[in-house]
Amino acid sequence: MPKKYHITAKVTPLNLDYVYKFKIERGENCINCGRCTKVCIYEAHKRGKGDPRKMADPNTVVCRNCFRCIQECPRGALEKSLDKDFLNIGGSYWKSDMFITLWKQAEDGKVPVTGAGYRGPFTGPGFDSMWTDMSEIVRPTRDGIHGREYISTSVELGRKLNHLAFDESGKLLSKIHDTIDIPIPIIFDFPKDNLSPNVKLAIVRAAAELNTCIVLSPDHITADIKKYIKNIIPIISHKEIDRHSALIKTVRMVALDYDEEILSSLPELQDKIKKIHNVLTIVRVPATKSVEQIVSRLAKNGAEIIHVVADYCGMENDGSAGLNRRLAKDIIRAVHLKLVEDRIRDEVTIIFSGGIAMAEHVPKAMLCGADLTAIDLPLLIALGARLYEEPEKLLLFPEGLDKIAVRTVMHRVVNLMGAWHSQLLEVMGAMGIREARRLRGETGRAIFFEEIDNETFGKLFKKRETANV
Amino acid sequence: MKPSTVKIKKMPSRFKHQVPKYKVTRSAACINCGTCAKSCPYGVHERLEGYNKMSVPIDYKCIGFECQKNDFYCVDKCPRNALSISLNPMYQTLGDYRWTADMITGTWIMAETGYPPERKDLEYNTGNSGGGFDKLRLKFPAGQPKIDKFEISTEIPLNRRNDGRANVIISTPVYGGGMSFGSVSLPTMVSKAHCASLWNTFTCTGEGGYPEVLQPYNDHVITQVATGLFGVREETIQRVKIVEFKYAQGAKPGLGGHLLGEKNTESVARMREAVKGTSLFSPFPFHSVYSIEDHKKHIDWIKQMNPNALVSVKVSTPNDVDMVAVGSYYAGAHIIHIDGGYGGTGAAPDIAKKNIAMPIEYAITKVHNFLKDEGARDAVTLIASGGIRTAHDLAKAICLGADGAVIGTAEMVSLECVRCGNCESGRGCARGIASTDSELADLFNASHFELL
Repeated sequence: MPKKYHITAKVTPLNLDYVYKFKIERGENCINCGRCTKVCIYEAHKRGKGDPRKMADPNTVVCRNCFRCIQECPRGALEKSLDKDFLNIGGSYWKSDMFITLWKQAEDGKVPVTGAGYRGPFTGPGFDSMWTDMSEIVRPTRDGIHGREYISTSVELGRKLNHLAFDESGKLLSKIHDTIDIPIPIIFDFPKDNLSPNVKLAIVRAAAELNTCIVLSPDHITADIKKYIKNIIPIISHKEIDRHSALIKTVRMVALDYDEEILSSLPELQDKIKKIHNVLTIVRVPATKSVEQIVSRLAKNGAEIIHVVADYCGMENDGSAGLNRRLAKDIIRAVHLKLVEDRIRDEVTIIFSGGIAMAEHVPKAMLCGADLTAIDLPLLIALGARLYEEPEKLLLFPEGLDKIAVRTVMHRVVNLMGAWHSQLLEVMGAMGIREARRLRGETGRAIFFEEIDNETFGKLFKKRETANV
Repeated sequence: MKPSTVKIKKMPSRFKHQVPKYKVTRSAACINCGTCAKSCPYGVHERLEGYNKMSVPIDYKCIGFECQKNDFYCVDKCPRNALSISLNPMYQTLGDYRWTADMITGTWIMAETGYPPERKDLEYNTGNSGGGFDKLRLKFPAGQPKIDKFEISTEIPLNRRNDGRANVIISTPVYGGGMSFGSVSLPTMVSKAHCASLWNTFTCTGEGGYPEVLQPYNDHVITQVATGLFGVREETIQRVKIVEFKYAQGAKPGLGGHLLGEKNTESVARMREAVKGTSLFSPFPFHSVYSIEDHKKHIDWIKQMNPNALVSVKVSTPNDVDMVAVGSYYAGAHIIHIDGGYGGTGAAPDIAKKNIAMPIEYAITKVHNFLKDEGARDAVTLIASGGIRTAHDLAKAICLGADGAVIGTAEMVSLECVRCGNCESGRGCARGIASTDSELADLFNASHFELL
């Protein structure tokens, strides 16, 4: 049994303002009777510090929406509403609630647990239109979560052989390619936004602490970051290989930005890199309309690892605002199926990124066919960044973040990944799958809305829905 | 047929105020003439004895825009046009896609009065989730059907195997879900049991043991044998008419349960035969069941111990739920209870609630058809749960192929739960869900009424 991978969480509050959901206002007809202080078990209501005859303004950050104060105030003087900030943040993909739960996970590293059943829409676009399977009678995979059995979340990056070849005397002819193991199916994708040096260093250190990798442009690799070079994947243009040869000598993987030239010259480029140092090459391909064709050609041309990058909402990246853009779930499935069709799927590693916003997206992306995922924005949301989708993407960092100690920032990122790792274990435990590698492309262990809805209600709903279109 | 013993009582809320849907605003133009107080029959406007000024309007009593047609509509009546009505922003903070604010309010009204709300502004039968039950609509014939409501029977038999065991018939095709002692308070459990006996149906102990106060209701209690086997004793198996095996729960399929140490108080520990203050895990799955043959052994064990009891098997809804159901049938189960992925819980990881296993709407059809093809449909009772919120959901579940349903969250909401979702946290429910049984009985009446 391999050594158990465990992410140790450490409660790390960040003393900065963040989004909260409810706002309680005290009306003028409050008689300062203090009933609310007695009924609220979360201590949202307190008497004034300076003047205890008066009630202080409600501390609504702690409000858990139990309605006790509202319903028991003798004068009906309290009013509650959804906070404006909460309503404005995010957009149609990055839902307001996500910010609060990511922030919370970064603070305590725990799996978000609540009472009462699911509250959201029945289904939604993309990843929201699939469910993962479970096994009623299985080996006790669940025990893995309590530590008696091991659920491995590690994945392998690199090119693999389709089959082994032997000579007549039984000697192995094939050359086995090198691969790199990382313990979670998540790598970090460095956000392009202007980050303060402490945040930059902290995220790199978190990647090192977790034993995963971070994709980083060479300009960002400053002296303090160089210490973690084994966990860094420098991203360069294929024209700059020579210029960065000193850097390539120190790393395990290097990423190349895709352009059309790479389609044909990939074997030479990979050779060239291998001559400098034995590193694996990732080709970073934007998820355009024809992404599956490009990935297929790259794979046939010997690509080791292909990183498919959708936009920040997990949508196809063709520059247009058209409504027909595919979503992550469909992009990954198309890429995966194309490679299966070409009988080359097992030979190449696919990383998917773009719109991986919650822990559930990791196993879902893998079920659709990715080997692993890359994330960027959740790392920043863990640090209090606010994201707005409308009118255009806007990312705001909290004031004072640049002064926070590197350790604190790093711990929050580690906590977030700890919570995600535990959630991945929950999903795998329920499915009875004990190796994350086996999630890849296991669509039989997923339930897709389109299929099951059609099977069950097709006859009932079809007519009306076609009419609506 | 509704048991004739059920009496409907009006059970007002425990709280001073309800959550208002509308906001009634009185502007500075008000001259405190008191016209509104005289005209509003609902008591929104008040001028207290000895006061010159009008009180702040009591929003929750207002019936809203539908009042416009009435000649006592305060907004029109006010000589200074000082009154206005708008939607209250507070209403947005109540409920969610599945349990909308209207549905919660409607359920509260039903629990209070025993009848469906008279107000026309509440969409209390369907939620806003956009799929499943919320997308299905019942088709009602035009005009009043000429059926005497007293001729409609709502009873269903639970034993369809003809095996000489108890011929259990429940008067309403719904019974109460398993909520363990520890996850809900004792008064809540007793309320549920009392309601079940009034309505000639069942309630379930959950897996935390069988509190003694439930013994007077033995004939209406299902005792659960779950993976932790907490509180399972020979005598608890022998005193009931139905024993339920819980393999999995819809809200956290494949994850088992976990009672936090702080909730494991002295009395809970005694009931569960455990050490006080320790965290108690209900593992997943049954560590004695790794095949359908093991499962049969389990059922045989119960049948041997209580020769008259029916056996119910509660499973959640994976892709192969149909196979599981047929397997359970061949193993000798009387009731197949499928719990859908969107079901209720006292605590579950959010990731599990949303993503693991399919919603009940699909599973019912899947299991129903599979049992039918197997020729076993008429020999087993199919019970659905996990997202049955209203009488309409119940009817829809039956239309899809279930025989009956189990409700849990609806019971909690009738006891004035607001679904804030903090049941699991340190001090537990902020509202101390523990109320009178009559409220629950009223909800049943209202559901019954809707069903007819």
